[in-house]
Amino acid sequence: MEKFLELLAQMNPFDLVQVIFWGLAGAISFYFSIGNARVWTSISIGFFLIFLSQAYGINPWGHYQKLTAFHYIVGTVAIMMITHGFLEYYVFCRTFEISGNKLVVYLSTLGILALSGAFLIINPTPSPNTIRNIRMVENAIWVFLCVMNIELVRKIYQAIKDSDISKGFIAFGFVFFFILLWRASELYLQIYQWDQDWQDIIVLMTDEESDIANYMSRVQFSQEVKRYAGLLSGISVGGTFTYIYRLLK
Amino acid sequence: MFLLPKGNPLFENLAVTKLKLPEVLSKLGGGGFTGYASFVFQASTVILVFEAGKLVSALHEEKSGTVRKAFEALSSLAELMVVSGSGAMNVYKLSKDLTLCIHALLEGETLYKAQELKLIDINALLKKVKEDQMNGCLRIYTDDHSAMIFYKDGNPLGFFHDGSSDIETSSSESQKIAGLPGAKIDLFSTRSVEEIMGIDLLEVTNIQKIWDTTVALHQSEIDRSTKERQERDKKQELLKLAELEEQVKAIVGEYVGKVGRGIVDKELSDNGGNACLIDEAGSVKFMNGVDRAAKLLISGTNIKAMMEKLTTAITTAKSEF
Repeated sequence: MEKFLELLAQMNPFDLVQVIFWGLAGAISFYFSIGNARVWTSISIGFFLIFLSQAYGINPWGHYQKLTAFHYIVGTVAIMMITHGFLEYYVFCRTFEISGNKLVVYLSTLGILALSGAFLIINPTPSPNTIRNIRMVENAIWVFLCVMNIELVRKIYQAIKDSDISKGFIAFGFVFFFILLWRASELYLQIYQWDQDWQDIIVLMTDEESDIANYMSRVQFSQEVKRYAGLLSGISVGGTFTYIYRLLK
Repeated sequence: MFLLPKGNPLFENLAVTKLKLPEVLSKLGGGGFTGYASFVFQASTVILVFEAGKLVSALHEEKSGTVRKAFEALSSLAELMVVSGSGAMNVYKLSKDLTLCIHALLEGETLYKAQELKLIDINALLKKVKEDQMNGCLRIYTDDHSAMIFYKDGNPLGFFHDGSSDIETSSSESQKIAGLPGAKIDLFSTRSVEEIMGIDLLEVTNIQKIWDTTVALHQSEIDRSTKERQERDKKQELLKLAELEEQVKAIVGEYVGKVGRGIVDKELSDNGGNACLIDEAGSVKFMNGVDRAAKLLISGTNIKAMMEKLTTAITTAKSEF
């Protein structure tokens, strides 16, 4: 507990607020998944997993590299679950087919996470560079699937725009827009090696020099976009699920 | 219609619907019956004249005046017995002479028909019968009673009244009927006994075949009309189901939006078409399906209101089927 409080004290207040908001959003979405139709389970479980992926900063065992890598893998699973859920919702809008059950979704998610954990356990401890690679892959997947989800959400809205819940999908559009900005700005920094992880790696492990000083303004802009968009993402997810919960009540 | 005096009754007012023509004719023919059997239906009368078990004459007369004789009359009788839901059979025993007179009468021609007695000069008519030396019959009748006077060569041969089984000499019954209000007369010319062919219609006609054919035709007619009714009912049911389907789509669409119609289509398709709406188990499955889909689109409050409307519409429709 002491170590947990120590970690909280060390965290950037902005990052802490972001994690708290993701915690609230995760709780709301998980609660939403319990009382609602099966199709919502994948979506809400996915958003709940974002919280778990973002919670590495407050994880007392976060210094274990395999655990850090696991946080990022959970983030990748999160967006895949969310996309799977929206894809199912879109299929429902076109065919009105509803299949499967909640338990299978919960168990499948646990199974995927267990396999990811096993993958990390049977492989060598990831280096900081490997962890950064995993994080970059996660961001790339997030950016690609966010664009796809924005399109899916648009199509779903078109199909059901005169139903009670349609405005909720507009809210999801904003959610994915904020997440896209958040993840894309981070990916941008990673691709050009202007991210903090890379700066730490080259200082500690290589003789390489960074050109970050030449592009400081765009680096700072991207970092600000990442911070605020990340915060807005958490707030918008919590708000959206609360809004949809009220729409469906 | 042709109403003969009643004669000596053997059977009266037997329900025709319970009788089979071949059996009736077989009994009358086999028993050596002499007299006549009348079959009275709502719109027509059939008279069969038997002489010592031989069916010597058959006459079918409709209210409209149409008359059929012999084979045609038997066919008509078979058809009437099978098709009409009512009718009575009377059997009257007569003497051989009277039977011959009746036979001759049925084979003869109608000279005057349904003449109001008070409007004609009966004496002049009788004088003409005498002067023309007619063989014939003068029938005096009301709706309920009838009497006949037979003439041979213009001279009265005798009288036939209700209750008599032979030609009588007393004219009192005829005079009584003639005095009744609304009494009418018919005048028939009869053919001489020598001219009447002594054919037994039972021998030259396959009554059993006529009967079987008539029964089969009637049955096929019943089958056809039953099939038509079933098809009409089916069509009506399909129309009602289509109306109910449209009503259900309108209700679901009102709450869920345009995808509501698609949801209804899908659930109907999954449950075997719109007939499931009036089926107990099918309608429950349908409602559950709509409810499950609606949970993804609308609020619980609206789902409740929608389901109540759907239940009312389906229950009302079920009671109409």
